[in-house]
Amino acid sequence: MKELVIAGFNLRRLFRYRPNFFFIIIFPMLIILLLGATFGSGFNPAVGIAAEDTGALGEELVAALEAEKGLRVRRFDNEDDLADGVNRGRVEAGLVVPAGYDSMVRNGDTVILKFFSRPGSFGAQLGATVAAVVSEQSVLVRAGRYVEDEGYASQDEALERAEALSRIIPAVNVRVTRAGEALFPEELGRFDMGATSQLLLFVFLTSLTGSVALIETRQLGLSRRMLSTPTPVRTILMGEALGRIAVALLQGVIIMVGSGLLFGVNWGNPVGAGLVLVFFSFVGAGAGMVVGSVFSTEQQAIPIALLAGLGLAAIGGSMVPLEIFPDTMRTIAHFTPHAWGNDAFAELVRRNGSVVDILPDLGILAAFAAVLFTVATWRLRKVMTN
Amino acid sequence: MSTALLIAWKDLRQRFRDRSMFLIAFVVPLVLAFIFGRILGDVGQEVTFQYALANQDDGVISSVFVDEVLTPLERQGFLEITPVDSREEALALATEGAVSAAFVIPAGFSAAVEQAQPAEIEVIGNVEQAIGTLIASSMLTTFANEVRAAQLAFVTAVSFDESAFSKLDELTEGRALPNPITLEDVSATRKELDAGTFFSAGIAVFFLFFTVQFGVTSLLDERRAGTLARLMAAPVRRSAIFAGKLITSYVIGVVSMTVLAVATTLILGAEWGDPVGVALLILAGVLAATSITALIATIAKNSEQAGNWQTIVALVLGMLGGSFFPVTQAGGAIVTLSLITPHAWFLRGLGDLQGGGGVSDIVPALAAILAFAAVAGTVAMLRQGKIFQP
Repeated sequence: MKELVIAGFNLRRLFRYRPNFFFIIIFPMLIILLLGATFGSGFNPAVGIAAEDTGALGEELVAALEAEKGLRVRRFDNEDDLADGVNRGRVEAGLVVPAGYDSMVRNGDTVILKFFSRPGSFGAQLGATVAAVVSEQSVLVRAGRYVEDEGYASQDEALERAEALSRIIPAVNVRVTRAGEALFPEELGRFDMGATSQLLLFVFLTSLTGSVALIETRQLGLSRRMLSTPTPVRTILMGEALGRIAVALLQGVIIMVGSGLLFGVNWGNPVGAGLVLVFFSFVGAGAGMVVGSVFSTEQQAIPIALLAGLGLAAIGGSMVPLEIFPDTMRTIAHFTPHAWGNDAFAELVRRNGSVVDILPDLGILAAFAAVLFTVATWRLRKVMTN
Repeated sequence: MSTALLIAWKDLRQRFRDRSMFLIAFVVPLVLAFIFGRILGDVGQEVTFQYALANQDDGVISSVFVDEVLTPLERQGFLEITPVDSREEALALATEGAVSAAFVIPAGFSAAVEQAQPAEIEVIGNVEQAIGTLIASSMLTTFANEVRAAQLAFVTAVSFDESAFSKLDELTEGRALPNPITLEDVSATRKELDAGTFFSAGIAVFFLFFTVQFGVTSLLDERRAGTLARLMAAPVRRSAIFAGKLITSYVIGVVSMTVLAVATTLILGAEWGDPVGVALLILAGVLAATSITALIATIAKNSEQAGNWQTIVALVLGMLGGSFFPVTQAGGAIVTLSLITPHAWFLRGLGDLQGGGGVSDIVPALAAILAFAAVAGTVAMLRQGKIFQP
């Protein structure tokens, strides 16, 4: 019972510290929003287009590029903006469709499309995609032009005949087959990936920075006062641990519910997602207890908390998905709890996995938590009773 | 002024013995830059695409594709081709992701095209390699259209005059039909930071806003500890005390940024660009960070509140300014929004230094950063009296 009182007190302290409304509620939501805006449409490369008064064929060219699945198209007002956008990496490549493109193509005039790409990116290769669409548009004109040039017929006659024949003669078909397993299903929501990975990042980070409360408890003599009452050390430790777990859970619930309501994030199987959160909260709380027991001042604990909270999240795939890590890095990643949490969410959200599918991940998280809590209680018992 | 320097000197000696300042100013950003650079550094940087080619056709047309299309691109380093014997082999490579995509040209392809029969060529793309697959299928589509144009030119010509049969060879080899629409590849100057430099600089400028707190905010600590009252009792002007604290912040900030720039260059291979330009950006950036932090200190009631607000401001500016991920790729309003942060201008300035840019290229970025410094600094100066009120 006393444990719960201590835990409840910890939770109240969390929000008595006003800036935590920002750190725990507003900031995570902002990050999820920004990540969704930046990477929400996947890691597809963006091509910038500056096109004005280009006529029907010009619009068709842009529409064809927009229809390409692996590509995002972003419009620019003019060539200068476009060049700047390519230079600064806002888009991978840029295409300028000149005014009057439509009539130039139809007349068989020479048309030069300016294509900007940046050294050290695959922008240059994306030119192939533009060339493909363009080649489609020029087929008939080229055939007609040849016949006219060789003197077999006039341009209009030749074009008409070529068009008629093109309806009879089958074209070479290009078949595109997909092989392998998709890591990110197409129905993955814009904010889903950011939300699951940021959940882990913030639960862990908040747990670590929140460990300052534990240091404060000792600094202010709260623990000594509690010990002077007929309360066994075990009860106090249990209470503090429950408090840390409550803080971690609260952070997680805020992100889950908040991002669900605000951005419609899909968390997969609800029981599974809840279990991942609970287990990961134990890990975070354990790590927070360790930080709170090892350091004796807030000034030392906060930088370490930031370093560990952000560093482990990055290594564990909470900043860039594990799936695109190089192999060795992916192995290293699995020394962090984040990687197992991310694996579990990947299973739940992207592969519609059930609770059974994530049992191994939960097991590992439990092991992390057990080790951390053992170390923390051992250390805390020592520093509190000394 | 000498009093201000004296105070700054005392503070600096104190600060450089402070372990938590060391962590925030040097260790944490360096370790994070290392981790970020290591993991995130190579993502999306693959420039040479790997393809497999299963060519089972022995005709002229498929050899045109191989010799005229693939080989030149391979020579330019855009792609690498692994020849395989069968579609099964190509499929296996694409499935396991050993290649981005595989081209399959079936037996009898050339003959089918020449006889105006339905013909098909195939791209097998690995689902995860969307870009590589897209480019492969684009290349095949372009080629199919070339073939189509030649085919139509031939039959149209023959339909007018049977003597055009003699043109078959020149048309199948694809030399007779210049494409009126050509792409002119304008290689742009790269003003984007490579991943290692981006994370080094982004994290350095993010932590700068924490580092400079060690100077200015100590004023509020001194107020709480009562040493400020003692300083004020001495024949020392308040502005000298304030200036001393600002100098402390500034020096710590410049030292931190310089160490980080040098260390990331040596350890991570980051390329910050022209040293003079980088130095100017650092000097201006630290000025902006110091001014903004000082401004918050003059508004806050105590050092704890100042620390909180400074942290919130540092987080929001850092996030919007693209310290952690390149927000400019989001496009739209976020790009505009990010320009209200000194972080974005600092990174933009470094971008301008890439590809041989010099001091003249970073004038806009410098002006923007100094504008932040001027506005925040002026308000902070006007409000400095607040700090000295008990």
